[in-house]
Amino acid sequence: MSAITLRNVIKRYGAVEVVHGIDLDVEEGEFVVLLGPSGCGKTTTLRMVAGLEDVSDGDLSIGGARVNEVAPKDRGVAMVFQNYALYPHMTVRQNMEFSLKPLSLPADEVARRVDEVASTLGLAELLSRRPAQLSGGQRQRVAMGRAMVRTPDVFLFDEPLSNLDAKLRTQVRLEIAKLHNRLGTTVLYVTHDQVEAMTLADKIVIMRDGHIEQVGTPEQVYSQPNNTFVATFIGSPPMNMIPARVRQGRLEADGLLLSVPDRFKGVLAEDQAVTIGIRPNGLSLAKDVDHNTAPARVEVTEYLGNEALLDLRAGPHELIAEVPALGRPAPGAEVTVHFDPDALHLFDTASGDSLSL
Amino acid sequence: MAYIRKRNRRIFLIFLLPAILILFLTTIYPMLYAGYLSFRSYDLAKPFVPRVFVGWSNYQNVLTTGDFLHALKITFQLMAITLSIQLFIGVGLALLVTQRLPGMGIARTLLLIPMMISPVIVGLVWLFLYFPELGYLNYFLSFLGLGPVSWITSPDWALWAIAIADIWQWTPFIMMGTAAALTSLSPEPYEAARIDGNTRWQVFRYVTLPQLKPVLVSLLFLRAIDAFKIYDIIFVLTKGGPGDSTEVLSLYIYRQSFTFWQMGVGAAASFVSLIIIVVLITFFFKSLNRDPMQS
Repeated sequence: MSAITLRNVIKRYGAVEVVHGIDLDVEEGEFVVLLGPSGCGKTTTLRMVAGLEDVSDGDLSIGGARVNEVAPKDRGVAMVFQNYALYPHMTVRQNMEFSLKPLSLPADEVARRVDEVASTLGLAELLSRRPAQLSGGQRQRVAMGRAMVRTPDVFLFDEPLSNLDAKLRTQVRLEIAKLHNRLGTTVLYVTHDQVEAMTLADKIVIMRDGHIEQVGTPEQVYSQPNNTFVATFIGSPPMNMIPARVRQGRLEADGLLLSVPDRFKGVLAEDQAVTIGIRPNGLSLAKDVDHNTAPARVEVTEYLGNEALLDLRAGPHELIAEVPALGRPAPGAEVTVHFDPDALHLFDTASGDSLSL
Repeated sequence: MAYIRKRNRRIFLIFLLPAILILFLTTIYPMLYAGYLSFRSYDLAKPFVPRVFVGWSNYQNVLTTGDFLHALKITFQLMAITLSIQLFIGVGLALLVTQRLPGMGIARTLLLIPMMISPVIVGLVWLFLYFPELGYLNYFLSFLGLGPVSWITSPDWALWAIAIADIWQWTPFIMMGTAAALTSLSPEPYEAARIDGNTRWQVFRYVTLPQLKPVLVSLLFLRAIDAFKIYDIIFVLTKGGPGDSTEVLSLYIYRQSFTFWQMGVGAAASFVSLIIIVVLITFFFKSLNRDPMQS
């Protein structure tokens, strides 16, 4: 087990800088997920940790030692690739054995490790098969097994579930979580899927355009987003964003008038441009009109079973509300939407930063 | 429907006809005619003498006089030398030109040039290089204090001289096919091997080579067929000599047919070598291609 530290790590390809000096601490045994849209630099960061890409500038340490110039094999890491990266002409057993070859272990030790990992991952029956004879989920398990037999200090996962179908993804996700609980190895995991990030991570690192936008527990990034990017990136459906201005202690947004929750009173200036953020479950349907409601029309309803999503139009604003499916209004209905003041987020429109203290 | 199908079939036949015609005129008819000739006595110098049926005597002639077997031995010697060296250098060059290094694109194109030259020209170029007194090769060897080597005039060297010219011309073929196969291999397993710490040799031996095998077998197959009927380079360089030290099958057949004018014997030798090559190549590649995992 090893901690990973990144200090002002920069990656350049020629003149193009793709990772702009990031700082990150991964504690020993922690499960850290790098999350962000395509091209945000998360995979590049992971590959730098693996040693597959050079660090252009800054310091990268694993287990307390600087490893910028250390060869991948000497970093004590094992990596699971998106496309599994299995050797197509080798059996499952040979695939796992091949990654042990550099360790020059005695044959019985190799066999013991392979058998142990195979039984852990439910691969015992498949040891003599080739990758082409396996399903996607089985291949993914082999790829994990190949990483596990080496008993590395750090596991690196590069979007390991993105080639699996939805059902399998849930299943393998659970297996990864269980494995981490049991082995307790440090994990750095890259994904663009927020559900994976939320369910697996001890700590989520949200990246955009080569910068870290926020680091925090799943709860933190969900309930206390640092800025509008994190607020809209985490959560499905995304947080509703409404441009507004502060007018006489209230938030005025083109036909919408809401009172400012007490916790924001100190930080707002008159006429400041702000963005109101509220998650779909912060909106509800009200009977009475008060300071926190607005009239709206239901455009579309999406039935999800327990809940329903309402696509609402309130003046020029399009909102999504999550309400109990039972008794949901019909499309076209005129309703009153209640904005839960406790669920309200405010962001500075100019910088996008959260105004929560 | 039936009408359309009938019409389509007719169009189908019309389009195929030129190809069938050419195939018939250039391959099938000559082959049948050679089959006919192989059972006749036919002296090209006496075209008006009737071509009498002689039964198997032409075949007997081919298989019992030592010349044919000698030519067969020379052919296989030459194949063994050229194919193995072409494979070795070709794969090596392919590994080199697929590296991301500056100038590799140009190198790749330049290395293909020998393949684009007609074998007769290749023969002539090497003839100049091998020339005993005035050739460049001996000239350069003299700087090293070596030689002069009687490249094409000594029975010890002539086969090697031919092999070198053939290797020079056809190694790029192996290189090109192997390089194409190498670039189509997915890069992730190599990255996995790098992280695991497998050595370059282990990666080549256990990851690259097994994945290249099907391509290498096909390339060798094509080269083997080509090498079996090698003619032009030898005709220009040594004409089968000195003595019969470089007389391969095609030259033997040529000599029987157009020097001794024994068309029947030449035709019989052609058929025997056709059978040999078909049997050997089928056998060789079946055994090479057998999957070791399944046996």
